[in-house]
Amino acid sequence: MLQENERSEGLLTNDDIGLKTRLKLYRLQVEIRQAEQRAYDLFLQNLVKGTSHLSLGQEAIAAGVATAMEPGDLSFCTYRGHAHTLARGVPVEQVLGELMQRDNGLMRGKGGSMHLTSVDHGVMGSYAIIGAHLPIACGAAWRAQYTGSKDVSVCFFGDGTTNIGAFHEALNFAVIWKLPVLFMCENNLYMEYTPIEVVTAVEHPAADRAAAYGLESIIVDGNDADEVYRTVLKALDKARAGGGPSLIEAKTYRHSGHSRADPAKYRPEGELDKWLERDPIKIYRTRLLEFGVNEDTIKSIEDETASKIETATELCKASPPPPEDILTTDVYADGGWAWRN
Amino acid sequence: MNVLMPQLGETVAEGTIGNWLKQVGDYVQAGEALVEIETDKATMEVEATQSGILSTIHVAEGESASVGAVIAVISKQGQAATAERNESANNIPERRVSGGGEDILMPQLGETVAEGTISKWFKSAGDKVTTGEPLFEVETDKATMEVEATSSGKLSEIFVKEGQTTAVGTRVARIGNGGSVSNAHQSPAVAVTRQVNLNLYQPASEPASGHLDPFNEVKTPVIHFGRAELSDGMKITPVARRLLQQNGLDALALGNFVRAQGANRISKKEVLAVLSGEIPLAKTGMAHLQAHPVQQERPAFLNVVPGPADTVMELNRYRKLTAERLAVCWQTIPHVYQAVEINFRSVEEVRDRYKTSFKDRHDISLTYLPFIIRATSIALQEFPQVNAKFDGEKLIVCKDINIGIAVDLDHKGLVVPVLHHADEMSVSGIARALHRLAQKARDEKLPPADFEGGTYTISNNGSFGTLFTTPIINAPQVAILSTDAIRKRPTVIRTDEGDKVVPELVGTIGQCFDHRAFDGAYSARFLNHLKEVVETRDWSGEFN
Amino acid sequence: MAELSYREAVARGIAQEMKRDELVVFLGEDVAAAGGVFKATEGLLDQFGPTRVRDTPISEQAILGAAMGAAMTGLRPIAEIMFSDFIAVCFDYIANEFPKSRYMTNGQVKCPLVVRTGNGGAARFGAQHSQSVENWAMMIPGLKVVAPSTPSDVIGLLAASVRDPDPVIFFEHKSLYATKGEVPDGEIVDRLGTARIIRPGKDATIIALALMVHRAREAAERLADEHGIDCEVIDVRSLVPLDMQTILKSVAKTGRLYTVEENPRLCGWGAEITSIVADEAFYDLDGPIVRITTPHIPLPAADNLEDLALPSADRIVAKIKTTLN
Repeated sequence: MLQENERSEGLLTNDDIGLKTRLKLYRLQVEIRQAEQRAYDLFLQNLVKGTSHLSLGQEAIAAGVATAMEPGDLSFCTYRGHAHTLARGVPVEQVLGELMQRDNGLMRGKGGSMHLTSVDHGVMGSYAIIGAHLPIACGAAWRAQYTGSKDVSVCFFGDGTTNIGAFHEALNFAVIWKLPVLFMCENNLYMEYTPIEVVTAVEHPAADRAAAYGLESIIVDGNDADEVYRTVLKALDKARAGGGPSLIEAKTYRHSGHSRADPAKYRPEGELDKWLERDPIKIYRTRLLEFGVNEDTIKSIEDETASKIETATELCKASPPPPEDILTTDVYADGGWAWRN
Repeated sequence: MNVLMPQLGETVAEGTIGNWLKQVGDYVQAGEALVEIETDKATMEVEATQSGILSTIHVAEGESASVGAVIAVISKQGQAATAERNESANNIPERRVSGGGEDILMPQLGETVAEGTISKWFKSAGDKVTTGEPLFEVETDKATMEVEATSSGKLSEIFVKEGQTTAVGTRVARIGNGGSVSNAHQSPAVAVTRQVNLNLYQPASEPASGHLDPFNEVKTPVIHFGRAELSDGMKITPVARRLLQQNGLDALALGNFVRAQGANRISKKEVLAVLSGEIPLAKTGMAHLQAHPVQQERPAFLNVVPGPADTVMELNRYRKLTAERLAVCWQTIPHVYQAVEINFRSVEEVRDRYKTSFKDRHDISLTYLPFIIRATSIALQEFPQVNAKFDGEKLIVCKDINIGIAVDLDHKGLVVPVLHHADEMSVSGIARALHRLAQKARDEKLPPADFEGGTYTISNNGSFGTLFTTPIINAPQVAILSTDAIRKRPTVIRTDEGDKVVPELVGTIGQCFDHRAFDGAYSARFLNHLKEVVETRDWSGEFN
Repeated sequence: MAELSYREAVARGIAQEMKRDELVVFLGEDVAAAGGVFKATEGLLDQFGPTRVRDTPISEQAILGAAMGAAMTGLRPIAEIMFSDFIAVCFDYIANEFPKSRYMTNGQVKCPLVVRTGNGGAARFGAQHSQSVENWAMMIPGLKVVAPSTPSDVIGLLAASVRDPDPVIFFEHKSLYATKGEVPDGEIVDRLGTARIIRPGKDATIIALALMVHRAREAAERLADEHGIDCEVIDVRSLVPLDMQTILKSVAKTGRLYTVEENPRLCGWGAEITSIVADEAFYDLDGPIVRITTPHIPLPAADNLEDLALPSADRIVAKIKTTLN
């Protein structure tokens, strides 16, 4: 540790991010990676049910954005939202529990993988209808503006979303009302099974649309957590200061298929390998070592996380399935479902 | 009350007395046939429209009188109480003022069961009740059943008390806020009530609350008020069906009346008209519903005065309900008893072989009875007239073989649950079904369906060690089997060395049959066939 | 007491709620500066200012999405969709987002918003601007659905809708905007899930909604005067929650049920109620339940054709007369 401190002083004075934040960025990415891998393993054991969409390879974005956000900020993500949910501090067992359809799950099994929500953590929903949450994020931002609150709404979506109507309505809307919202596009090169370039009129699906709405075109390396962090921090500050919305396109790649069912055979040979070399966690680990962070420190982050995932898994396995009596609860605010007297 | 020469037909002005069916001084019940009247077109029977003593006959047999003339007088002496009830029964009580809440009705109790007696209330007025909780117990002459609450709330009022009888569909209690402002304290304590239940539905006025079940958001009616079409093709609207049954009216009679008026459907209007008196009951041929039956005079030798040391035991509820039925069956059916001795050696062989594994597998003891039932169902297929019903005129040979088995309820009474389609079951299946039925019968949990549809009955007295029994036929069935003790008896068998007396497992199986339905020869052949089946069938085949 | 038009009542209802609660905000196309294409929201911008009463682009999805985001995070928005036919454009929010979020998130997410929209025909707007689509909302679990028929009901039910913690779709009838009615002074707050008997009777029950309520009442008067048939007319007002008790009680009394529905035949709102009555109140029925609806066609533009399509008092009288006996 002594060695670290000595070096870190130098780090802090020369660096805008700082060791503490960097360690957090690393820990978050590792946790996301390990949790997603665990979800995959559990799926093979038929303990994770239904469909799920993994963020393996895209960890740097969720980690980078979440670290830049304030606790009071709100996030809205897609059905590929495990990473964003974990990154905002939702306990692993609640996420895994939801995937495993247990009573200890984040929504007690009522929502499933695609709808992870934790209002307590500002995770205002994972949305399965492509593009639906962009206008919703605008509404949350409008509320902030209206009440004078300084929180920012961050909205995550993929490259495919940039072609749906709600994307365009939301951007236009956010700009004209100058709403404190950040539109974060994770361009992983594929719209489900189709290469994004085949279905998009412009080269950069999000960044090249920015100008249409009077926004700055911002592209960032989505596999570099530091870059993501810096860029997002700037956008959040701008929004908080009343400067209106931003649209950021983060370039990344997903290691697995679109969802469970997808072996991703549509990828050209060699593409995956190329991107594996640019694995965000590999990149970050190397960078930490270069900055002089101790191998032991790094390893202990990895080990602690592994142990955390293990404990969470056991907790979930021990949890029963949801009780039948919650089948009809919470349709309405009174907790019930009744539509007639 | 004057008895008038009735309307006899469009163009008929007078009628001739053919036959007085009652004599001066006779007691006549409302609805009873009084006299036969002849015209040149037809002979018709005229019923008394009120009860009383036939005090005077004005027109003798063979004499004629004009339509509308007085032909006799029925005096109401000594019938004042009945008359009063008649009058009040014909008035429509005030419509109930609604409160909130729901009526609890006497539920459907079985196909041919029109009324039930409440034997026990589990709740009192003022108690809180939740859906599914047992509310009261109701008895019919076939069974006892528990009725559960179908909604939650406060039991605000009980209209039919313990021991009282009321028709299916009538209101026995109320769950809900407020009560109704009505003459509700005059509970309809008798089977036939004239109370008009126009508002079956007393809904709550509050919006959605927690007692709705998401899988039963719509409360399908539990009680069914009969078919949409009468046996003669007359159609009845749903609400009319309900009102007819709830008020104990005769649908066929009203149907005839309605048809005569040129209409082709019984709707609410017609039923309400009858209930309000707008259409007199007599005109609709329902005069017999108007009053309650009055006790017949008892012969003097039946009047029993208990001595000071004697114990007076009330008949328990089972016996009370079945007493009258048994008496009627015994009195009206010419019973003939026949029996055969049956050798149970081959049955015993198989029973012995399989009884342990059967007990292990099903936790049921394998007795002789399932074998006998199986053999009976086979024999009934060969002698279908034994599996029949008699209505006094015609023998109705039944297609299904549904065997009722008398189950003793710890010497408190008998119930007869039915094994439906007994011919489709193996011995093993019969044993299991029997066990289940008997258990439910003892727990008093048999639903009406389990008492209905019987075509033949077996009275199993074997466990009581008797030699033979002559059971009472379960009308309208035409026969009943009795099985008695099966034990070692000295039996003569033929050997190469001549006749020998050996101990054999033998039981007497007897049958009481209705001699109107068939003769001794047919019954005997049935019994001998049954014997043959029991003695020679490959019983092991039933257990593979 | 004052006499107000239905459209004035809309403005008054919104104003009443916005005055009461600062968190109530209002957005829609041409609602602020122009006072609404039906002039139903005139004066609101002046009264409450441009941060609370906002004009939007032609972006139905953004309008409803923003309303939801605001409602989820603390505001009580009222959103306008100009013509109810347009809810098809933003149907994802009505079908998937508003109604399912609370359930899917195990009660975490709330959605206390009101979508007001101009519904129904008889205004010669043609097929894509005239349909009655309250049944599109009725069939979605998690929503509440309201359709007032009078100015005072507009205020009372709008107030109840705004105060309701669940998403409410509020169907105003375009052809009723000009009609007038008595409105009590002061604050008016009604209750969702309550139907109203507007004409008691004993021979048959007629249930109707919005514009059809007036035609049903007219038909009932004529049936009484000309044919001695005494009908009970019920304004259903709220499809979800549904006041079945009032309807069932009425059917128990009369034994016959008629519905008058402006929506096209298939899966109209009356079909569901018919099915409930045929089940639960079977033994109160003295004859078949009859639905009187617009035929299953898009609506034409020409006056005479549209008048032919929508149920008229004439058609209601004729149907009841021939089927009641």
